[in-house]
Amino acid sequence: MPIKSINTICPFCGVGCGMGLRVSNQQVIGVEPLSQHPISHGQLCSKGWSTAFGIDPRDRITTPLIKDDGRFRVASWDEALSLIASKFKQFIAESGNDAVGVTSSARATNEDNYATQKFARAVLKTNNVDHCARICHSPSVAGLKKTLGSGAMSNSADDIEKADVIVVAGADSTENHAILGGRIMRAKFNGTKLIVIDPRETRLAQLADLHLQLKLGTNVALFNGLVNIIFKNGWENTAFLDERCEGLDALREYVKDYPITKVSEITGVTGIQLIEAARIYSHARAAFLAYGMGITQYVSGTRNVIAVSNLVLVCGQIGRPGCGINPLRGQNNVQGACDMGCLPNVYPDYQDVLNKDVQHKFSKAWKTEVPTTPGLTSLGMSRMARQGHFRGLIIFGEDPVVTDPDQNMVASGFKAMDLLVVVELTLTETAKYADLILPAASFAEKNGTFTNCERRVQCIHKAVAPPGQALADWQILSKLAEHMGCGSLMNWPDAEAVFMEMAALTNSFSGMSYAVIEQQHGLQWPCNREHPAGTPYLHKNRFPIGKAKLMPVQHTDPVEMPDEEYPFYLTTNRLHFHYGCGSMTRKSPLLERETPDGILFINPHDAHKLKLIDHSPVAAWSRRGYIETRAVLSEHMPRGVVTMPYHFKEAPSNQLTNDAFDPITKMPELKACAVAIKALPTGQQPRTINEIKQASAIKGNADVEVHHASL
Amino acid sequence: MQAYSLDKAETLRAHLAKTHCLLEVRDSDEGSPQWQQITSDDKTPFCGMRVAQFSPKAFFFAEREQLFTFDGREFVTTLPDSAPQALFAVNACDLTAIAYQDRFFAKDQHYQRRRSATLLVGIDCLSPCDGGFCPSVDAGPAVREHTADLILIPQSKEPDAAWFVAVNNSKGAAALQGLQLQKAPADWQQLRNTHEREAIKAFPDASYILTGVEHLNAGRISAEFWETLGVQCLACSGCTSLCPTCSCYTTYERNTDDDDTLVTERCWDSCLYDGFQREASGHNPSATPGHRVERFWQHKFSNDFVAEFGRYGCVGCGRCEQTCPGVIGVHSVMRQISKSCTT
Repeated sequence: MPIKSINTICPFCGVGCGMGLRVSNQQVIGVEPLSQHPISHGQLCSKGWSTAFGIDPRDRITTPLIKDDGRFRVASWDEALSLIASKFKQFIAESGNDAVGVTSSARATNEDNYATQKFARAVLKTNNVDHCARICHSPSVAGLKKTLGSGAMSNSADDIEKADVIVVAGADSTENHAILGGRIMRAKFNGTKLIVIDPRETRLAQLADLHLQLKLGTNVALFNGLVNIIFKNGWENTAFLDERCEGLDALREYVKDYPITKVSEITGVTGIQLIEAARIYSHARAAFLAYGMGITQYVSGTRNVIAVSNLVLVCGQIGRPGCGINPLRGQNNVQGACDMGCLPNVYPDYQDVLNKDVQHKFSKAWKTEVPTTPGLTSLGMSRMARQGHFRGLIIFGEDPVVTDPDQNMVASGFKAMDLLVVVELTLTETAKYADLILPAASFAEKNGTFTNCERRVQCIHKAVAPPGQALADWQILSKLAEHMGCGSLMNWPDAEAVFMEMAALTNSFSGMSYAVIEQQHGLQWPCNREHPAGTPYLHKNRFPIGKAKLMPVQHTDPVEMPDEEYPFYLTTNRLHFHYGCGSMTRKSPLLERETPDGILFINPHDAHKLKLIDHSPVAAWSRRGYIETRAVLSEHMPRGVVTMPYHFKEAPSNQLTNDAFDPITKMPELKACAVAIKALPTGQQPRTINEIKQASAIKGNADVEVHHASL
Repeated sequence: MQAYSLDKAETLRAHLAKTHCLLEVRDSDEGSPQWQQITSDDKTPFCGMRVAQFSPKAFFFAEREQLFTFDGREFVTTLPDSAPQALFAVNACDLTAIAYQDRFFAKDQHYQRRRSATLLVGIDCLSPCDGGFCPSVDAGPAVREHTADLILIPQSKEPDAAWFVAVNNSKGAAALQGLQLQKAPADWQQLRNTHEREAIKAFPDASYILTGVEHLNAGRISAEFWETLGVQCLACSGCTSLCPTCSCYTTYERNTDDDDTLVTERCWDSCLYDGFQREASGHNPSATPGHRVERFWQHKFSNDFVAEFGRYGCVGCGRCEQTCPGVIGVHSVMRQISKSCTT
């Protein structure tokens, strides 16, 4: 049987690499890189290379499943959708429209996401729609919206090669955005200066000209300190500040409170390094600054983003090729899920849900009433459920039980709901809590578009038929709308029709069509009458809010810091080989083999004090949970800090993490909490979280108390 | 070797496509050259020399395939289809690599089943491709003897030039049956040799590669050097996936839908993975990324393997350079070796 290659976009991170899906006998058996792709130029990371395993038809959910007496049974689409429709109608009648909601997927297409928010707003009549950007870049959207007027990456991947200085802050990009990280490496070898700001000694930190190894959670102090040094030396870009920014005097005055000695003390970075970093960045011809979760996943997330934005603006490193402020997005389409309005406060293209004109516009276009109050975030829906005010949720392609902070709280939220519907490829940990599971088509089984982190909308192509009765999210929602009595609202013939409806209701996408996207190898928004060929870099002559805003922000410590009882900081990281909850990457025998024996990374000095050697079994617990794993000794970890990747359901870091959140965006503090660690007896196998929970159930103890008994 | 004159390559392509599943490299809609199936009525002009980033090894050594099943009593080998296929216009480097793989998989039923059903039509390259250095490793630019069944030989560099088609063996001769072809003029081989000499002159200087290979075989490269390179290796598996001579695979078991039968499959593996050589005890003879990077290059250029394969494991295609996110493809590595060992 000959092999056919169908070109599409990688379904993992936000870089948006091109890949050909190699199809034989109606099955994707492998992938090939695309040498002419504008971003990946013939490269893929280990996850991309293993894509075929992630969508293997053999472990997929292929029919709707309904849980009866705790066990799933096969159901028809008609039965499943009728049940969901009648329950949702009942909840709305009894408890109001805001007792139901939808969580969309940053892995799904723009078309799926547009359909999801439309279903929430036009059919359920609620703004309760959210997705996982909440726990990655909501502070970027909020912070950069305030300071610049747009939360997306200002520049493009191509700008990496145009810069003479690159700054990577709180991002492990060779692991998580490998092809972009590789381009940064290449630029460094070609003579670009590289500054890495990270508590861990990442791969890029090992190669960098300057590594500012700051203490956990001290971003604001560091960036304020750099801005202060720049002002003191007169290194700011006066012309840019005069012409393009406001709030200069207040910022200049405010950052005086961050002198070098104080900043060194807070951050642990030497004065010499701070001055050197400030000098290099401010003197750059073009400085490309990229950042990741190490900036956003804090209670201070939005302030961190604003502090970074201040530095960029003070040096005028924005609005030109080769520079900019560039949040690296985690999922293939998290940019798109935000753009499509799968957020409780905005319609597609960030149109405010509370704006009367916007409400009128969508109400008129959709020919139905729309909600007028803001919606709940995903964590908000979970919290309201625990309080008995939220009853029915549909989750598309997310596994919050593994990926969200404070796992036990998330699970109790789901248990408290009257109806949980999960639309998934496989039986994830979250799907196990569902009352109904609906079979979703994977990215290889549908047409549509993804938007990568540089705002490039790219077409994906159906390579094989979905297994069994699986459908694309937008098709499922279309059918469900029909069962809810709103059939005409979401009745599209194909994905392109969904896209065109969206494009007609937005400005940033108004110049796009599938034909032009294909022809141009993707289009970067805004793409409209003024920018028919798209926009490689934003803010050229003006900011969407006119002048950019410099905003003084204050340093505060993480909510939970190490103390006598919990003497270590726990942070979280990701591994090159795995993605999210691991539901796709762990199906690859090769990537699964790359999973380390243990996933608690600790400095050898700390390990020695705890009498741990490499691969010793360990227990770790916080005020919220307890896990067991093995220790991995790593020189790249600073003393006093341990890190865990969150991909592994056996030892989920989110048993331990803190759900204290950023008051502005509700971003939980996933990057810092306090934990205690102890060696388990040599030879003892670490138990999985399920084994620990079973043991605790038998003993009748609360989860958190178990560790005392087991130590 | 017998040769014939051929006005149009399309005539031969259409003829072969009648009896074979025929594949050639074409630019996809998106612009990247890819192997694509062509039918005998395909009117698209033959585009001449094209290098696909994905090497043709997958046509014989599938990236993922079923090996055998076990139902609790019996092991049953599951062999692939063996419908005749023709690879049309394969470059000299890739043909050299296929000959190399033929040795490695000499006793592999799955490989041989596909290989014996395949007709290889080579093509002489008249100019260098991006990143290619086949002359330095004796793999091109003209097709090496006995690596193809038929060879397409352009009569000149002109886009609409006529061709010679050389017949290497009886399989090639059989494939031409039914085509009316004139014997090539007596000097066809001379012309071919002239073209190759001219093509070789056009290749950029790759002496650092030979210098690097010399240092590698003389054991002059330090462990620290490899560890420094190891930091750059993300273990993406791109180099081993695209390298036309890489042949490592792993096997794994899968349950079938009815759960009564166990299926053993194999897929391409990569020696750059930590788990590639890790033993059950956790001990790993190649424990660091630097070790693994070193091993990869030893396998490509060490004299120790020449006895077994008759040549180096590198055929000079340069694919590893393009696909490596860590900037440690063959050009980068050999430049660094030749620099660090000379200074």
